[in-house]
Amino acid sequence: MEGDGSDPEPPDAGEDSKSENGENAPIYCICRKPDINCFMIGCDNCNEWFHGDCIRITEKMAKAIREWYCRECREKDPKLEIRYRHKKSRERDSNERDGSEPRDEGGGRKRPAPDPDLQRRAGSGTGVGAMLARGSASPHKSSPQPLVATPSQHHQQQQQQIKRSARMCGECEACRRTEDCGHCDFCRDMKKFGGPNKIRQKCRLRQCQLRARLSPVTPSESLPRPRRPLPTQQQPQPSQKLGRIREDEGSVASSAVKEPPEATATPEPLSDEDLPLDPDLYQDFCAGAFDDHGLPWMSDTEESPFLDPALRKRAVKVKHVKRREKKSEKKKEERYKRHRQKQKHKDKWKHPERADVKDPASLPQCLGPGCVRPAQPGSKYCSDDCGMKLAANRIYEILPQRIQQWQQSPCIAEEHGKKLLERIRREQQSARTRLQEMERRFHELESIIARAKQQAVREDEESNEGDSDDTDLQIFCVSCGHPINPRVALRHMERCYAKYESQTSFGSMYPTRIEGATRLFCDVYNPQSKTYCKRLQVLCPEHSRDPKVPADEVCGCPLVRDVFELTGDFCRLPKRQCNRHYCWEKLRRAEVDLERVRVWYKLDELFEQERNVRTAMTNRAGLLALMLHQTIQHDPLTTDLRSSADR
Amino acid sequence: MFVRNVAGTPGPPITIAKKPKYRAAWSRAGRLADQTWSFIAMATEESGDAKAEPALSSSTNRSQKASEKPDYALKFTLVGHTEAVSSVKFSPNGEWLASSSADKVIIIWGAYDGKYEKTLYGHNQEISDIDWSSDSSCLVSASDDKTLKIWDVRSGKCLKTLKGHSNYVFCCNFNPLSNLIISGSFDESVKIWEVKTGKCLKTLSAHSDPVSAVHFNCNGSLIVSGSYDGVCRIWDAASGQCLKALVDEDNPPVSFVKFSPNGKYILIGTLDNTLKLWDYSRGRCLKTYTGHKNEKYCIFANFSVTGGKWIVSGSEDNLVYIWNLQTKEIVQKLQGHTDVVISAACHPTENIIASAALGNDKTIKLWMSNY
Repeated sequence: MEGDGSDPEPPDAGEDSKSENGENAPIYCICRKPDINCFMIGCDNCNEWFHGDCIRITEKMAKAIREWYCRECREKDPKLEIRYRHKKSRERDSNERDGSEPRDEGGGRKRPAPDPDLQRRAGSGTGVGAMLARGSASPHKSSPQPLVATPSQHHQQQQQQIKRSARMCGECEACRRTEDCGHCDFCRDMKKFGGPNKIRQKCRLRQCQLRARLSPVTPSESLPRPRRPLPTQQQPQPSQKLGRIREDEGSVASSAVKEPPEATATPEPLSDEDLPLDPDLYQDFCAGAFDDHGLPWMSDTEESPFLDPALRKRAVKVKHVKRREKKSEKKKEERYKRHRQKQKHKDKWKHPERADVKDPASLPQCLGPGCVRPAQPGSKYCSDDCGMKLAANRIYEILPQRIQQWQQSPCIAEEHGKKLLERIRREQQSARTRLQEMERRFHELESIIARAKQQAVREDEESNEGDSDDTDLQIFCVSCGHPINPRVALRHMERCYAKYESQTSFGSMYPTRIEGATRLFCDVYNPQSKTYCKRLQVLCPEHSRDPKVPADEVCGCPLVRDVFELTGDFCRLPKRQCNRHYCWEKLRRAEVDLERVRVWYKLDELFEQERNVRTAMTNRAGLLALMLHQTIQHDPLTTDLRSSADR
Repeated sequence: MFVRNVAGTPGPPITIAKKPKYRAAWSRAGRLADQTWSFIAMATEESGDAKAEPALSSSTNRSQKASEKPDYALKFTLVGHTEAVSSVKFSPNGEWLASSSADKVIIIWGAYDGKYEKTLYGHNQEISDIDWSSDSSCLVSASDDKTLKIWDVRSGKCLKTLKGHSNYVFCCNFNPLSNLIISGSFDESVKIWEVKTGKCLKTLSAHSDPVSAVHFNCNGSLIVSGSYDGVCRIWDAASGQCLKALVDEDNPPVSFVKFSPNGKYILIGTLDNTLKLWDYSRGRCLKTYTGHKNEKYCIFANFSVTGGKWIVSGSEDNLVYIWNLQTKEIVQKLQGHTDVVISAACHPTENIIASAALGNDKTIKLWMSNY
């Protein structure tokens, strides 16, 4: 089945009759698998069952079949033909009977007239014959003989009966075509040509000239073929993305700034596709689509008709189908954002050459400066270079005067922005000084603690427990609820709390990356939830255990009188016994750290604000903004409409 | 009058010539002049203060030109929309001008210099109306895609999308507290939405034709809605009860309704080339303004209170009409647009009018007057 390429069909060998081969489960179909949970269809000749997926027959299609014979049977016995229940198919059957070709799928496939749209339109009709034909494209292709042998029959069929439908007049050149060209974007999207089957449209050359949506151009046989095969020249390639291609941007950007939608009458696919997704996308897309309309000094030699509302409405429907391409669009977004940084060339969305509205007979002239070649179908230019040149010329002509216009009068918003930036800077400064203050306190604290530890060397055995023991009074622990001795209450509650807390996680996806911060967040990675612990490192009960206290260590907590006044003295009790100052280092450290965290948050906020102001400032008078908008000043004296003095 | 120097700041005023006029104003305008006299007294104390000067001149002008005309002159033309502009609104703090258009975007311009600021994208269909919140930080937009969107102007992002209407949303309005939004739609209903959650709180359906305009009064207690069926209804905002229905003899479709700034009157525009000022508590029409052309489009009209008291409205003959509120005579017609002027907005503090026109024109024009 090399002909099809992309179809991952299981090999044709051993199609049916070798079913039971002594395994436990009976195996079926050409894939030789015992799976019977999917839709299956049975050959009326050999009674072998085939999976619908494997032979490309859906349940829906099968509903219309009366008699069905597998490929192999049909190969072996030419008289076996698939019979349908569909009314029109009776015609088909009668046609096929007189064309005694070995494969009627061949006939089905080569019968474009009956239901060509069914091949392509999602959700329209049950083109059994057509679908079947597609599915069995491979066997057909693998043996070229019948192809050659049966042109007469096809011709006959076509002459007798080229189907007319809502989308096919049956009489135009496109309707008469029987084969897909294989080169246009729609063909290359087809499975049989190796495509991902996302667009699902008829071959470009087979789109009915009268009735197809967005009547595509079908170059008639008389038109000289372009020198190069069509696809490479047409801008919106790879067809998977429907023409709005990122690759395009890089390579073509046929008009960096002004890319009028090609095929001027159908810009709506652009608009409708891009629209709901993302303002960034849309912005640049708009930059492309909108530039042309109604700006007289920029009009091309041909005028662009306004969006036809009827067309627009139809285009909306198509959009829903295309929504599935969200993933590819996300990628586009990202690359788009990157592109936007370069103020030089604002790439525009290429107009997808879904369809052209121009008369199919003549292609207009390329709009490139000094170019006399015909434009590509679906485009205004003969090549990317022409488009680029035209765009560059436009920018050169228009941008300087726009810049001048902008600079004619002071921009009030700009001034506000500058003032705001000033303020933010100042606040950032103050935040940083606070941070330094905190760092200083941090070091101070450490030194106090160190000093306390030093004192441990001179151990003290004073054990004056200031408070009298109220062992009758029972306090209930807030975490576990057990009654505890008030003397050890603090110690117990700390431990108890740590126990419960260590069972919960508190983290975020991102590791902390702050320059210059010595110790803030715990940041231990939890592989299960893929998060980094965001508790304060000094406090985290989950990831740090309190170190064991040696027997001779002294508490060392600076003592205070009346809560606030430092006496300069230190608690001399052994740490193990001191109940008043349990864990004092940890808590003090945490205090300082928390303060530092707060300052960092504030700084973060300020950075955010600054970034916003800066982007506003750049976008306000950016390339796009200047090219798309204009403020005409009529009174040279009045640059500011405020009646009072500038604030 | 005072002269502006090139930088735009008011220059040294020429006061001498004015003095005799004060007295004349006093005797002529009677009570009105009392107020102006106190103004003048204030001004002369701080005579060097440039700020008082405009107040001074405007007040004197007001007194002496109580029946006089404004002199709006075209100052800026803002080009940028690629389709017809549907609505323009000044922000309550006077800094920005927002314009919505059939090209599905909203553009924010600086109100004083007319310079482009940013564009808000997101709607799938044309936008028919926008409104600012009271703190000038949010916008609500009503679109043909049956949704309303609440935007944060600072960041340019859409905060919420309000879904619920079953047909084009035509008009929208914030309440003075800016915690509620009302919207009128082609599905003949008025919906009240909560801003914080984006949920529809109430649906008032008492019209039999598309609702063309909705408006809160100055303290947010009443809602007025006008519709093509010719009826204006007044609702209690808290309960959703219809308090009153204003119908004229032959009920022409109502294209626009708005409360006056003091909340006592309603300005109703109808598609028979008429604007009427109603006292709704008594259900009587007090003033009628005609001369313009309005038979097809829902054209916005406004009260101009910063200088003289005018009624400002667009018109289908490409002009902006300004009437004297009391005398009902046309005091000025602003020419410059090349298509129907669909929307005219008045600046909250300055004598600036912004007007926007439809598809043949697609521009917004800023006009300024001295009084």
